[in-house]
Amino acid sequence: MKKIHILIALLFISITAIAGGNEKFQQKMGETLGGYATAQSPEDFQQLANKFARIASVEKKEWLPLYYQAHCLIIKSFVIKGEPAQRDEILDQVEKNVEAMLELAPEESEVFALQAFYYTARLTVDPQSRGMEYSMLSNQAIGKSLGINPQNLRARYMKISNDMGAARFFGKNPADYCPDAKALYDSWDEVKSPSPIHPQWGKDQVAELLNSCK
Amino acid sequence: MKRFIICLLFSLLQLSLSAQSTLSGIILDEKGEALPGANIYLDGTYDGCTSGLDGTFTFSSQESGDLVLKVDFIGYKSFSQNISLPGEISDLKVQLEEAFTELKAVAITAGAFEASDAKKAVILTSLDMVTTAGTAGDVYGALQTLPGTATVGESGQLFVRGGNANESQTFIDGSLVHQPYQSTAPATPTRGRYNPFMFNGTVFSTGGYSAEYGNALSAVLLLDTKGVPAEDQLDIGILSVGGDLAGTKTWKDGGITANVNYTNLGPYMSLVPQNFTWNQAPEALGSSLSIRQKTGKSGLFKLYGNFSRSGFNLEQEDPNAALERNTYDLSNDNLYLNASWKSLLNANWSVKTGVSFSMGTDEVGLAEGNFTSGLKGLHSKSVLTRQLTEKIKIRAGGEYQRREYEEIFSTENEEFANRYSDNLLAGFMEADIFASKKFVTRLGTRMDYSGRSNQAQFSPRLSTAYKLSEKSQLSLAYGWFYQNPTDNFQLYTDQLNPERADHLMLNYQMTDQRRTLRAEAYYKNYRDLVKFTDQPFYLPEGYTNQGEGYAYGVDFFFRDKKTIKNGDYWVSYSFVESQRNSRDFPEMATPSYVSRHNFSFVYKHWFGGIRSMAGMTFQYGSPRNFNDPNQDGFNSSTMPAYKTLDLNWSFLYRENIIFHAAVSNVPGFKQEFGRRFASQPGPDGNFQSVAVRPPAKRFIVLACFITLSPNKDKNQLKTIQ
Repeated sequence: MKKIHILIALLFISITAIAGGNEKFQQKMGETLGGYATAQSPEDFQQLANKFARIASVEKKEWLPLYYQAHCLIIKSFVIKGEPAQRDEILDQVEKNVEAMLELAPEESEVFALQAFYYTARLTVDPQSRGMEYSMLSNQAIGKSLGINPQNLRARYMKISNDMGAARFFGKNPADYCPDAKALYDSWDEVKSPSPIHPQWGKDQVAELLNSCK
Repeated sequence: MKRFIICLLFSLLQLSLSAQSTLSGIILDEKGEALPGANIYLDGTYDGCTSGLDGTFTFSSQESGDLVLKVDFIGYKSFSQNISLPGEISDLKVQLEEAFTELKAVAITAGAFEASDAKKAVILTSLDMVTTAGTAGDVYGALQTLPGTATVGESGQLFVRGGNANESQTFIDGSLVHQPYQSTAPATPTRGRYNPFMFNGTVFSTGGYSAEYGNALSAVLLLDTKGVPAEDQLDIGILSVGGDLAGTKTWKDGGITANVNYTNLGPYMSLVPQNFTWNQAPEALGSSLSIRQKTGKSGLFKLYGNFSRSGFNLEQEDPNAALERNTYDLSNDNLYLNASWKSLLNANWSVKTGVSFSMGTDEVGLAEGNFTSGLKGLHSKSVLTRQLTEKIKIRAGGEYQRREYEEIFSTENEEFANRYSDNLLAGFMEADIFASKKFVTRLGTRMDYSGRSNQAQFSPRLSTAYKLSEKSQLSLAYGWFYQNPTDNFQLYTDQLNPERADHLMLNYQMTDQRRTLRAEAYYKNYRDLVKFTDQPFYLPEGYTNQGEGYAYGVDFFFRDKKTIKNGDYWVSYSFVESQRNSRDFPEMATPSYVSRHNFSFVYKHWFGGIRSMAGMTFQYGSPRNFNDPNQDGFNSSTMPAYKTLDLNWSFLYRENIIFHAAVSNVPGFKQEFGRRFASQPGPDGNFQSVAVRPPAKRFIVLACFITLSPNKDKNQLKTIQ
């Protein structure tokens, strides 16, 4: 994921003329996506999220800046070492973004996939109380995402991840889903993204799932 | 430093050669401390920056003209300032103000146990109510493990802080439930009619409650039903005492659930020895329908209807004639309808309206003749809420209630019938005022009017809460509470005034991660209680409002979800001192439903390895009084202390199949609830009596719950975990 984003960022910085009315938007998005390459700490992800927020405040009809702001904040909520209340507060902003995205793009598969990711993040804040409810919400969002686009890579990744988690909980073997994970990893690059600034992430995460299969 | 460089680099990537301005400064929070991670930007442009760990920021911009500089950070109000570029803006000091949201501010806790899934800091979830051992799925049973309540084994109803069972009212979705308990025989315990799985929000208020609720001297139980169902599903419950079938179909923004349930204790009672003699074991058949529909952007319409028919034939020992037994043949029909709608009207206004209708008939066959009682009730209420300012919210509402009650006693030759009806009107107004995030005051007033007695009463209500620290708060509540006399007195007189109780309570609550401590002290003053005179009961002269009483005490509650891994427990202790002179009391005395000390210990443990949830409940109630006419003094005899130890076990066999077993009173503690006495002394001058005992020493339930749904992962574990 990181390498691809560096390449894309460099590409956009070097190209001076791109046909199309949203040239500035595409360029800015490309540049900002480059930030993923070096982001590691919670502060890094907050900073990256803020950049996407600024783009979102200008481009009020685009859902992609809101998407990445939310995505960065979800990652921040995972890496921050803080109280549950702090993590929930970060996710409160994500919740606002998800609602806004659903208004702008009600039939966008990636938005539902991100919603599923958001529900999983909420779950991990307090698994004991939220386990059943939020895993159900996450699965529903994945269902909606795949219903719109059965090829959606991120939705397919999260389905396998959720299934493995449920298997562990119900005392079944998570390795039953390893063949699905392998197939997804192998065929990842076959699915083309609508544009360089559309969501590309997930392959590294599938690789992590495969690691736990060995 | 790294952030500073990156910020600068990206702004330098602009290809334009126009004039450049530099903006810098520092972002602080309310306390004046550095606020890192804030988003500083020029509105309408891409130009901006994030504040560093020390709160400082610097960025450049090629923009020119009149612009707005904005600063955003979650949890704080957005800051804006007009500036003109090009120009140098340096040493800009921005202090952000915390955003006010009611969810994060202090909440009034005096007298209220909220089990709402919506709030984040919650002591009990609605699932806790359902999964507590010993309750056998009865909401009122679960409430009896909370402080402020007493377990009165011969009744099974809710007795709160020295108050009688009729002093507590139940509301579903804001509308009154006229008959929340199943019909039962005298000295035979009952349970709630409604399936606790229906609800996802519970507020149990043991006093000091909002002006929205009236006609309750001691407590209100507010139950909120679940919203639109998420998925189609079929739920099958097979129990040792019956079965339950529910089907749910959903559509866009709505859903319908139909349920049929059947209970028959006959087979169970033929296997397990009982204290009571049942000629026909309790049997009940019921069905319910529930429709949910979202309306518009923020509205929700709910419709719920339940019809059930039940009956039993019980032989009870007759204290009047030692060798004889009375049969009590009960058959009951009950219909309950409840419709409600709530919606936001715009940014500041919201409305909530509901109506409920109850129709219940009890037919009892006794040796002497047939006794029929019937209640028809209608309750409708509308409430408007307006957010006046960010910190002030006002609510106002009106209610109408109609009650029709009749009792008919018929023998072969004659029939005695009595009936009464009453139209009640009520209005209330209430304001929630947040002086700050730490201090809230709720002021309310309510007016109740009864058409029959042509009288109106005003009740002031006041409650306030102050946050002492991040984790603890203090709350105070005071109010007057009126309640009309019970139906069986109103049959014979329309001269009575409502009874009245004044509450004063102080509450301290501390929540630290997953542990909660609550302590509450209260004083209740009762007046205008109904008292009997020496005139016959069927004449208005038989009743006055001369009764009075008091109750005071302390309640403690401690819940810990943290200390034991996968374990969750709570401890509750209540002390109450209460006396009253009402009804047939000859003097001030402690009623028989009051126990001075009440203690509950509830424990639940999740055994992940075997996918099981185990629960245990221990309860103790100190000896209660009862009246023995053979003894001097009134209510001077005491029954043995009440003790029980209940266990339950749930096993997740497959994702959609759960097995459940529950046993009450495992050690078989002897439970006796006083004695019933003959109405006349026997030949030796003594009043004969029979002991009042529970229906059986122990009650065992076995069940299997199956959930079928398109999404195979669904099950009812959530409902029993």
